[in-house]
Order: sequence, then structure tokens, then C-alpha cells
Amino acid sequence: MSIEVKNLIKTFDEKRVIDNVSFKVEDGETLAIVGFSGSGKSTILKLICGLLTPDSGEIITSDGDIAMVFQYSALFDSLNVADNIAFALHERKELRNKYSEKEIKNIVAEKLELVGLKGIEYKFPSELSGGMQKRVSFARAIVTRPKTILYDEPTAGLDPISSTLIEDYIVRLKDETHAASVVVTHQMSTIKRTANRVIMLYDGKIVYEGTPDDMLMQNNEYTKQFVTASLDGPMHMISEN
Amino acid sequence: MGSLQKYYRQSATYKIFTGIFSELESFLDTLGKITLNGIDTAKFIFKGEIELKEVIEQCYRFGITSLPITLSIVGMTSIIVASQVALEMVKQGGGNFVGLLMTILIVREVGVIMSGFAIISMIGSSIASEIATMRVTEQIDAIEVLKVNPIKYLFVPRVLAGIFMMPPVVIIASAVGVIAGAITAKLTAGLGFMAFFDSAWLGIYLKDLGVCLLKSVFFGATIALISCSCGYYANGGAKGVGEATTKAVVWSFVAIVIWDMIFAIAFFF
Repeated sequence: MSIEVKNLIKTFDEKRVIDNVSFKVEDGETLAIVGFSGSGKSTILKLICGLLTPDSGEIITSDGDIAMVFQYSALFDSLNVADNIAFALHERKELRNKYSEKEIKNIVAEKLELVGLKGIEYKFPSELSGGMQKRVSFARAIVTRPKTILYDEPTAGLDPISSTLIEDYIVRLKDETHAASVVVTHQMSTIKRTANRVIMLYDGKIVYEGTPDDMLMQNNEYTKQFVTASLDGPMHMISEN
Repeated sequence: MGSLQKYYRQSATYKIFTGIFSELESFLDTLGKITLNGIDTAKFIFKGEIELKEVIEQCYRFGITSLPITLSIVGMTSIIVASQVALEMVKQGGGNFVGLLMTILIVREVGVIMSGFAIISMIGSSIASEIATMRVTEQIDAIEVLKVNPIKYLFVPRVLAGIFMMPPVVIIASAVGVIAGAITAKLTAGLGFMAFFDSAWLGIYLKDLGVCLLKSVFFGATIALISCSCGYYANGGAKGVGEATTKAVVWSFVAIVIWDMIFAIAFFF
């Protein structure tokens, strides 16, 4: 078992954002979390990787690193691509002692090749397109060989072709690392191409759990509204409540 | 009862008191966070967990890039003060003491406090906005997810740069201030350089230089720590970055004036 979330509850300013959520993700499996903006999807990722602390509930992950690919890449502007990717290898004592500078350089080159960006080591994030920045952040995330990879809206703001490329890399990274992956997304193409299972959140609760194909086929009123992008249905934007 | 409560909540007294308590709460919250970050930073420094490359980079930023503005501000303040006092003192027969007065003023106060103000406006604000931008663009979250301690990576090099670079900046700025004072005294009151510098050394003791250097170390560390902390707890977007920067500048200004007062009471009362 790579990720197990049990009865998770998180409240912000008296509003319960995550309300008794439980799910499991096996090694080598990708779970997509979908739902409206503000339904608590990104909060779940932040709880899993330890950026937030739950009010109650339990999160069990496999030993080893958890990596996260942020929505807007979150690359360090003051560092070049190579230093961004090697950041953990340079800054964490146990990793710095483990690898020589030459080995770090080789690891960086290998990860860049994996995301199809060979030879851009000395460019700065501001010199890269959004899609390239996202791929560099993939390379940075997997440099420590994580057992769990979290993606926060990995295809948001990208054109359809770049989105397809990113989706392919999500699948490729899962195959290469055999990590448990969680992808937060709004995009049906990302769900279909990357996920083995889907959960749908509304108002902090899970309202659907199943496979991407079932999501399209089943007569669940929540998924039906999400897939058809209809304004009529059980879900209303949070601000309308 | 409900309408009474509602009336009370709309009253000016209620609004004034809730405003005061909210400001007090925010003040104590910021003070507590700065103190805790200071303790964590000190722990890393004493454990020797220091990234030399980062420290050198921040030293360059703190010391070299701030030098032109610091020297200009201290130099111009000296010119203003000398132009006000030199002629009057010469007229009153105190020309022999112009150098002494100017040197005491610059070494004890003007050099260090004006350098502090210059560094706050140039380096402190830049540190706060840099770290605040890292916060709102999730770069600090990325540092944490990569299991690197943000205090060690962001605070330690900047606080060390403040400690190491503030004293040399203050020494150079004070020297420029004294020279600017001497030139101004010559131009406005016709006081010779020999007369100025002969008395310049009379009122300055080793204690003055020691206190000046100690103050500059405290000022440097305080400016860096406050600027890092205000940036670190920024939230929101561009507005949050602006607010964090303003807060860092205001807090740093007040903090170094408080330090200056403490030093004045401790060493010169």
C-alpha cells in the first residue's frame, strides 16, 4: 500500500473543506481527483505531502520521498534548470554525501532526457515556456526516486498538444518509478489518459469513486453534470451556496 | 437581547476596541514568529549547518550592492549637519571642536543608523519581496516538499550576511561621513582640514568604535531576520507581496531605533 487516507477532516475558518474522506492508492496506480474549484482537491494533496496538518484522520504513505508537481511549476527563479533539478541533491545532507558533483550532473542530464528536454541545463525558468517549465518540475520531482507522486492540475493553462505531452509523461513516470500517483485535474483528457481510478469531490465529500470509463457510462448525477459541464444538477459553485 | 447585541456591535466603542485588539493580536503574532524564526536560525548557525556559497552570494548583495546608496545617505547627512553647525561654532569661537563634534556624531549615531535605514530600504525590502514572491508562487512549498528546511536555506545565509557585512559597510560609511563633514566645514566655515582632524580624534574612544561595531552586527541581523520573516508569512498574490514588503520595512525601522535606544541607555547613560 502506497497511500492510505482514512477519515480525513480539514477545516479552514470554520468551513469544513475536507469532510471524512477515505481512499487508497496502490503502488503503480494513478488516482485522479476531480471536482469543482474550491472542492478541496488541492487541499488533499497538501495534506498528503505534509504541507498542511489534518484536523483528524490518518494518512499512511510508503517509506520514501513524496514528490509534488505544482500547478504553476514552482521552479526556483534564481536557479538555472540544472540547479532546480539537483536542488534536493545539493541541499539535503544525506543526498549530498551520497552523490559526487559528477554523479549529480549525470542524474540531472538523465532526468532531463526522460522529460524530453536534453541540453537546457543552463537556462533559467523565465526563459522556458509553460509546458517546458512543467516538464522541468517533473524532472525535479522524480530526482529523489519518490514512492509517491502528486500532481496539482498538471495540464492547467497548457495548449491541447502540450497537455497530451504532459499526460504521456505522467504515464511514463508511473511506469518508470512504479510510484503511487495522485492527479488533481479538471480535464477529461487527463483523467482518461492517465488515471486507473477516479474520485469526485463535492463540498469536501467523495460523491463518486470508480474507473474513468464508468465515470462516463454510469448514471451518477454528479459525474453526469461534471462531464457535460451543465449548470443544472446537484452541484453548485461554492460561492452560490 | 439580539437587537441590543446588534446595536452594541455597530457602536463606535465596540469597533475601536475590536480594532485595537486585532492590531495587538497581529503585533504579538508577528513578534512571536520573528522570535521563533530567530531561534531556529541561531540553532542552524551554532550547529554549523551553513551553505557557504549562499552566504557569499548574500554577503555580496548585502555589502556591495548596498554600498553606493549607503555612502550617499551617510555622506549627505554629514554635509547637512556640518553645514548647519560648522559656521555657527566657528563664529562662537568653537571652531576647534567642529571635528570632535562631527566625529562623535557620525561614529556613535549617524553612520550606523543612517546605514541601517539605507540597508532596510534597499536590501531589507528586496529580501522581503523576494521571499514573499517565493511564498505566493509555491516555491517555499516546493522547498518543504523536497525535504529541505526553508529556515536553513533562506534565513541562515541572509542573517549571516547581515551580521558579517553590516560592520564593514558602517565603517566605510562613517569614514565617508567624517571626510564629507571635513570638506563641508572647510567650504562653509573656512575650517582647515588640520584643525578639523586634530580635534576629531579627541572625543573618540575604543568603546565608541566597539559599540558602533556591536550595534551594526545587531542591526544587520535584525534587518535580515525581520525581512525574511515578513516575506515568509506573506499570503495572497501581488497585494500580499506588497504588504509583506511594507511590513518588513516598517518593522525593521522601528526595531533598529529600539536597538539604538537600548544601546544608548546601556553604554552612554
